[in-house]
Amino acid sequence: MSNRRSRQSSSATRISDDQIIDLVSKLRQFLPEIRERRRSDKVSASKVLQETCNYIRKLHREVDNISDRLSLLLDSVDEDSQEAAVIRNLLM
Amino acid sequence: MHMQPTSSMKEEFLQKWQMGLQIYRPLIDNTSVSERRKAIKLSADVAMASLRRGTTCWSRALIQKTATEDNFLVRQMLSGIKAETLINKKLPKVMCHRKIVRRSKKILRRRKSRSAIEEVAAKARKLVKKKTQGLRNVVPGGEFMSNDVLLIQETLDYIVSLQTQVNVMRSIVDAAEAGSERTAYYLGKLKFAIEDG
Repeated sequence: MSNRRSRQSSSATRISDDQIIDLVSKLRQFLPEIRERRRSDKVSASKVLQETCNYIRKLHREVDNISDRLSLLLDSVDEDSQEAAVIRNLLM
Repeated sequence: MHMQPTSSMKEEFLQKWQMGLQIYRPLIDNTSVSERRKAIKLSADVAMASLRRGTTCWSRALIQKTATEDNFLVRQMLSGIKAETLINKKLPKVMCHRKIVRRSKKILRRRKSRSAIEEVAAKARKLVKKKTQGLRNVVPGGEFMSNDVLLIQETLDYIVSLQTQVNVMRSIVDAAEAGSERTAYYLGKLKFAIEDG
């Protein structure tokens, strides 16, 4: 596949309308702003891609935030306290 | 078709994440908050990636990336041969041969005379290209996905996996925070009662 030249690689760099329709339908549940869009032309594709990026970044931030909170919880807890038991049972 | 984190995915994630944290357990009391945070995050990432059993590009890339930060943890979490294969497996080099693409684009440009519609389409394509690149930056291993079809498939799978991760982690931290508050409340009451008489 990597030997076929110009036509293959230049068409592979474009997203088809079908893929956009598919992506939109799947992202619809996460991105209410996208629900209103019906056209799948390239301009909408751009919006969908942008929103997808934003959504992924949002999830990343959430994981970071939760990791912070958990590490603080483990920190503020005495080894022998009941809190320690609760947290450690949940996590470990 | 609606993609959603399934309960089996969540269960498996939790199990693997807990296993990862178990590895840190003996060290937990002697480490700083930031080291704990790293342990929590890295084991969560390996747990999430391992759900895919090496079948997706993003999960392999994430495991390799985590291995550079904590090789020991990754090896412990992924038992035996599998760990070796996943850590050492070479990710494909960037398959988009830029020179060829540039040359072919140049040829195409010379052949066509651009109408107004074609100009708009070209601009839109450029915008899509830019946003696609943005996606490559946030999906692990995105830089190796020159094929846009693959990129979208991987993105969708990555999103479901992230949701699983967030879902479970959120439940845990909410329960832990509620638990500790409640415990703290009762401990406070108890302390007050003891001090009182």
